[in-house]
Amino acid sequence: MTSDPDDAELIARSLDGDEDAFVEVVRRHEAAVGAYLARRAGRELAEDLLGEVWVAALASRATYDRSFPDAGPWLFGVAHNTLRRHWRSRPAEEPVADVTGMASGWDPWAAVDSRVHAESVLRHALALLKPQEREILTLVAWEDLTVADAGRVLGMPPGTARRCLHQARMALRNAPGVVALLTDQNMMKEAN
Amino acid sequence: MVDEMDLLTGMKDAEPVRPRAFEDARAVLAAAIAVEGVPETKTAPRRRARWGMGRVAGLSAAALGAAAAVVALVVTSTPAPGRGAAPGASASQAQAASSPLVTLAALITASSGPLPGNASLIIRTQTEGGIPPQVSYNLYTDAGAFYVGGDKYSLKQAVARGENMADGITAREVKAALYAAAGNLATARVQMTDASPNALGLGLPLAAREQIWAKAMAADAKLFKEKGIKVPPLPTGKALRAAVDNLVWNNSVDALSAGGGNPRVRAGVLRLLSTITGVIVTRSTTGGQATLTITAGPEVFGGQGEQVLTINARTGMPIKSVQPAFGKVPSSADTYQVRRVTLNDVEAGRF
Repeated sequence: MTSDPDDAELIARSLDGDEDAFVEVVRRHEAAVGAYLARRAGRELAEDLLGEVWVAALASRATYDRSFPDAGPWLFGVAHNTLRRHWRSRPAEEPVADVTGMASGWDPWAAVDSRVHAESVLRHALALLKPQEREILTLVAWEDLTVADAGRVLGMPPGTARRCLHQARMALRNAPGVVALLTDQNMMKEAN
Repeated sequence: MVDEMDLLTGMKDAEPVRPRAFEDARAVLAAAIAVEGVPETKTAPRRRARWGMGRVAGLSAAALGAAAAVVALVVTSTPAPGRGAAPGASASQAQAASSPLVTLAALITASSGPLPGNASLIIRTQTEGGIPPQVSYNLYTDAGAFYVGGDKYSLKQAVARGENMADGITAREVKAALYAAAGNLATARVQMTDASPNALGLGLPLAAREQIWAKAMAADAKLFKEKGIKVPPLPTGKALRAAVDNLVWNNSVDALSAGGGNPRVRAGVLRLLSTITGVIVTRSTTGGQATLTITAGPEVFGGQGEQVLTINARTGMPIKSVQPAFGKVPSSADTYQVRRVTLNDVEAGRF
């Protein structure tokens, strides 16, 4: 009985000329990477950029560290860099990308809705964080990565990633609006 | 106890990427993989292409484009649904870096301000063989509508009556060109290739591609037999690239024909044309204005035929497209006058 090859093995096969191997890696991770892009850039842009992510990953696969059997964090890293390149290359007249605008379907006029209000406060708070702090927070909270894997995405050693996450959590917890939000949420929870 | 991570987790939902987008992205990847396996040409590439060229006569839509590059059975100009696959991306980008088409595309993008009007009026004069010139007034609105008339009055009437003939025609080609204006060229080639249906199955596993191809060829088996043509195999490697080049050319020309009034469409089309192996670009003068002559030759059209597209060297506006005669196919030429207008002005006869 043979088990499926891990991502590292498939990438090795791809480098040896197996054209289907890298496609299989992509198939395994496309939903997660697509969701990563959609959360940060909205669905339309995510769909436009996804192909670029795969091409960039293909081009750089020779540098993949095959001691990691799971290529997911590496692909998140490629997606992260693709997004950064995209935002840097946008025409100046377009609004600078930030996380306050990335919620698909978010209705800013529905401020009476407490959930939307919470999102608004949080997105504003996220926008105030340093980029790496924001990224590591969202990688852990949204992509369900471990801190170490989130560090891999950003090219940080695990210890640095842990410190970065800690700082990010503190900054977010103490951000304007978030303190009140947490207090409200905990009061409601206790009341229930 | 709710903490900040709980709050964040509660806002992770986003509109999911659609299945088609995953397929498109894999097609881009497949194109890049295919290009990896193709040795790059170091010699100056001879480039040819022809405007609206090379739809294979008589074949079903599904088999058309792919077969176009494989079989030498070509018809002329009129844009019809063509197909292709899409290799050629990264290598093409390397070639494109020094292309005059890319330079012009950049200039067009840099110099274009807000777009006037809300539609492109394209007055097309077509000549073919000994037939008297045919003039048509074609109005493509930015919203995707298409109105046509034989003269100003009939175009005005068509608009007034709401005789929108678009039916989705060229919309995908124009969208792909808009993306190509600033997007990744590998992605753009796939999008432009797939703007019209084809039997190449880009991005699918080989077995699925072979199945699609076999089905398309089977549908045309009778025609192949009548013409004494051997049923072509699923194109791979250089043949695949040639098939894709054919479709990129044809569909790009369709996009230029429909959206030439929009500088972003022109820029995107020029960038796409720069990726086609076998296209030659030369400086020229047409009616006293500086022009670029873009020649696409037989390799773009399955081994026969040629198409020459002339554009304004400063604006990229299409001026004319010529297909020399070959075999039993007579020569044909289209000339274009392109300008931006508003739908209201056309309806009022002010154009």
